[in-house]
Amino acid sequence: MSHPARAMPLMDETPFASPAPLDAEGALLLAYANGDREAARELTVSLAPRVLGQATRMLSDRAEAEDVTQEVMLRLWHVAPDWRQGEARVATWLYRVTSNLCTDRLRRRRGVGLDDVAEPPDPTPSVTDRMQGEARMRALSDALAALPDRQAQAVALRHLEGLSNPEIAAIMEIGVEAVESLTARGKRALAATLRGRKEELGYGDD
Amino acid sequence: MAMTERDDLENLFSEARALRPEPGDDLMARILADAEAVAAERERPVRPVSAGPGWRNWLRTLGGWPAVGGLVASTVAGLWIGVAQPAALSDIAASVWGEQVSVNLGVDVDPLSLLEG
Repeated sequence: MSHPARAMPLMDETPFASPAPLDAEGALLLAYANGDREAARELTVSLAPRVLGQATRMLSDRAEAEDVTQEVMLRLWHVAPDWRQGEARVATWLYRVTSNLCTDRLRRRRGVGLDDVAEPPDPTPSVTDRMQGEARMRALSDALAALPDRQAQAVALRHLEGLSNPEIAAIMEIGVEAVESLTARGKRALAATLRGRKEELGYGDD
Repeated sequence: MAMTERDDLENLFSEARALRPEPGDDLMARILADAEAVAAERERPVRPVSAGPGWRNWLRTLGGWPAVGGLVASTVAGLWIGVAQPAALSDIAASVWGEQVSVNLGVDVDPLSLLEG
């Protein structure tokens, strides 16, 4: 899932990617690679909720988010023996792989047709707030699916994960300026897609 | 209008950020099962050597089973040459020394004579 062609030396300038003096998760990963089963349990307890959260926010689909979480963790188990402490942080790697797997899934959803999937399940006034919330989240996710992959990733990392531009630059292996451009364009496109859906989003009364 | 549209988008974003899904036991179990399977697969070729008896380590020193194959082949060939003494071999010896060479394994010299003088 990595894109070597996009790799840029800018990573070293971002605090997010700078070699942490002590990356506890990297150390646990190496312990797991050396046969420590308890390390795998600790990593799962601390990382799986994070990955599931990111995938849920992007996909707004519990089953899909769980599948992505399992796949991301499986890839983590596989890279464990080759993990180089100090070169990258586990958190950065997780954001990147999760982001890529989610846009893979969003791309497939795009093929179904935005109008077919963006409808709220039950738009009657009797729906509960929770259902309205789910419908809003699904509409946001489907609007993300309508964006080009890199724009969707940048917007999601910026606005759904609340990360800084240098952090996103490290995750996406691009420069900070490229991140700014992607998020700006992505956000505009997102607003355009969601325009006219204010009723569905539950913000029509404003 | 543009202002409220931007607010709506920000509201959506903050609503998404507030999501904190907790993985269920089933998902955790699936992930840990993967971790175990990957670790077991990785350890499989190493385990017999580290846990096996001494002759396995000896085998490993030789280079494992592929090396043993070559060893067996050359041993069998050596045995065959020794037993059968193929004609081609004495021809080679003759061409190397230029004549028939005989090696007398008997002792002609009186060993005691070496002690004399």
